Amino acid sequence: MFGSLATLQPRQLAAQVLNFALVLSTAFMLWKGLSVFTDSSSPIVVVLSGSMEPAFQRGDLLFLWNRGQETQVGEVVVYNVRGKDIPIVHRVIRRFGGGSAPLQLLTKGDNNAADDTELYARGQSYLDRSQDVIGSVVGYVPFVGYVTILLSEYPWLKTAMLVFMALTVVLQRE
Amino acid sequence: MAESKISPYSLTDLKNTTDDALANYLRGLHFHQDNTKLDVRLAIGYASVIIAAATFAADYKLGWEATKGWTAVAVVAYALLNGALTYWTWAVEKGCVFDGAKDGRKISIASKTNKHEPTYYLTVTDSGSGSTASTRQIQAPFTAWFTADGFFVAKPFQQWLATSVEAIGDADTKNASRDERDELAAPGPEVERIAQSNGSVEASGTESKGKSGKRSKKRG
Repeated sequence: MFGSLATLQPRQLAAQVLNFALVLSTAFMLWKGLSVFTDSSSPIVVVLSGSMEPAFQRGDLLFLWNRGQETQVGEVVVYNVRGKDIPIVHRVIRRFGGGSAPLQLLTKGDNNAADDTELYARGQSYLDRSQDVIGSVVGYVPFVGYVTILLSEYPWLKTAMLVFMALTVVLQRE
Repeated sequence: MAESKISPYSLTDLKNTTDDALANYLRGLHFHQDNTKLDVRLAIGYASVIIAAATFAADYKLGWEATKGWTAVAVVAYALLNGALTYWTWAVEKGCVFDGAKDGRKISIASKTNKHEPTYYLTVTDSGSGSTASTRQIQAPFTAWFTADGFFVAKPFQQWLATSVEAIGDADTKNASRDERDELAAPGPEVERIAQSNGSVEASGTESKGKSGKRSKKRG
């Protein structure tokens, strides 16, 4: 399998490795480009729980937009609880401030009995629009995100996928 | 070099193996390879990869908010570099498989195949000693140097190259079969000099007259 690599000159080997590196870096830069465009640290998120059913199911892929600072009641936002890195997708049910004063939001999952006060960090009773919110949902694709859930629940899948991709690109000379 | 088998039905395998063999053959004939085109491609490519890697590192260490501005700059720079790389590969390199020179004579070879057609097309640009650069297209079916099993046979490939390309034929006179060329046009003084480098000198005029006499016989 690696025989074809052995006969390559060093420059050609560098060119093959470059092909693989370009695949990875282009994917990464496309992601960052989308981040810059939407002004969101994570412009595409996967729904991890069923707290927004029937609107969003576990495994749905959500597209976020973070340039609308005047979030209204009824919009679905994605936020990180302070100190944790898990994105939560819930609906805004109350807002305080706005305009010149910093906007504060209270959220609740459609499928939850209580609002999110329990979920926020200790001592926090509302979300800060500019600090905590990653973006509001502007579109979604159902079910496609399940791959991401699998990759995070079985981390070895990530490594396996990467190794497979590397071998395919480096050994191929299309 | 160990002979490895390739699939004789895969056009990319045929082309890649032939390209590699061409470069090895010319390097073996002491053509000095000019790697500038490939080096520029590697430089542009790795520069863009380094920018991406730096962006990744900065984002990992400092988080999104702190690096937003620089990320935007990096994305634009990456897009420009990749555009330049695509342009370079498509317009400048254009299928080039060998760029080299020997004894002051520059040679540049680009190869091409058409989909579903088992023919190897070469565009050879020869600077010629003193004269201006001339470009020629030559072609041959892959079956000329590949067995039905997919083994590459060097001899017929080298013979085809040495016969079809002046510069290569001059460097490798053993493989160059010049009879057909000499029948069509009298050999120039330069080739005469090479051919007779170890023999006695004959008047070039008598040589060609004799050959044109033969020509009418063979064509008859």
